[in-house]
Amino acid sequence: MADQELVYLYCVSTRKPGRRQLNGIDIEIYSVSFQDMHAVVSKVSPEEFSEDNLKRKLGDMKWLEEKALQHEKVIEEIMKQGTVIPFKFGTIFQSDQNLENMLRDNEGNFRDIITDLEGRDEWGIKVYCDIKKFKLALEKEDEKIREIEQEITSTSKGKAYFLEKKKQEILNKVLDEKISECTQDTFNRLRTSSADAKINKLLPQEVTQKEGKMVLNAAFLIEKNRIREFDDILKYLRGEHGRKGLEFDWTGPWPPYNFCSKEEKGS
Amino acid sequence: MAAVQFLFQRRKRKLNEMNEVAFKTKDVTLLEILDRVLDKGVIISGDVVISVADVDLIYLGLKVMLSSVETMERLRGAPIEGPMQEPT
Repeated sequence: MADQELVYLYCVSTRKPGRRQLNGIDIEIYSVSFQDMHAVVSKVSPEEFSEDNLKRKLGDMKWLEEKALQHEKVIEEIMKQGTVIPFKFGTIFQSDQNLENMLRDNEGNFRDIITDLEGRDEWGIKVYCDIKKFKLALEKEDEKIREIEQEITSTSKGKAYFLEKKKQEILNKVLDEKISECTQDTFNRLRTSSADAKINKLLPQEVTQKEGKMVLNAAFLIEKNRIREFDDILKYLRGEHGRKGLEFDWTGPWPPYNFCSKEEKGS
Repeated sequence: MAAVQFLFQRRKRKLNEMNEVAFKTKDVTLLEILDRVLDKGVIISGDVVISVADVDLIYLGLKVMLSSVETMERLRGAPIEGPMQEPT
């Protein structure tokens, strides 16, 4: 097993960062350049990052949390000075030369990506739904439901029981449909003002630790000089859909993790 | 933790109902970071390859980290599944 230090890749930047210790982060970064593209890296120990050891370390949540946060912090620092293409956690090379070869092999691809990213930031939306509250709002607003409610109050006890059941059936059937209308509206409004968009998978409640159910998880690539427009969009969304029990987590600016691949353009 | 304190100072913000800037809680920020760092960004095979099984381990870990300590204890005792197909 080689004792030699490995090369950990954070991102590729359009500006060459000097070799230095970053503020508040216990890591010395340097760069490996190919023409005007600069891979921002640091040396890491094979004790942590060799293939066998990394596999083992991934099961150590405190370690993973610390390293993932460092990964993000480095990229955020570099992002202050130029456009960055962020890499996924755990992209590691045996040597600077191997990394330089990778840059050369992907030169065209990376240049295309940088062109798409310049002057833009990623922002994200996560929408959560309080199902109970949403159902209550539905009961008040949906005409069909309101009609049944009317009937229930004015009819016999026996018939009311069956009508109540029917009401619940209809409620559950339209629930998904109505939530979908809201998330579609949300996505469309944000998408319209964005350069690009991507819908991501929903995360389960045990991961989000939220009371509401995640109903939309999306990322948007936004022109830096248009970000103010989104304040109004979020205001509208919260006003229109908030009372139905929808909660909007709008965060940014992020390094453009979701827009680093030419194949994965959002609709 | 120093790393998380640094995050509180970032210009990253959550706009709440009143349209005021409010800092995110630690756990919500962590979720957002892991959702990106572990799953997105350029995916290039370096010299150290994380296989599909390792990625499943990360997702199991992601769930574990944000769950209760009790769940964590229970899951740490669970056997890790055998090797799966490497991605092509």
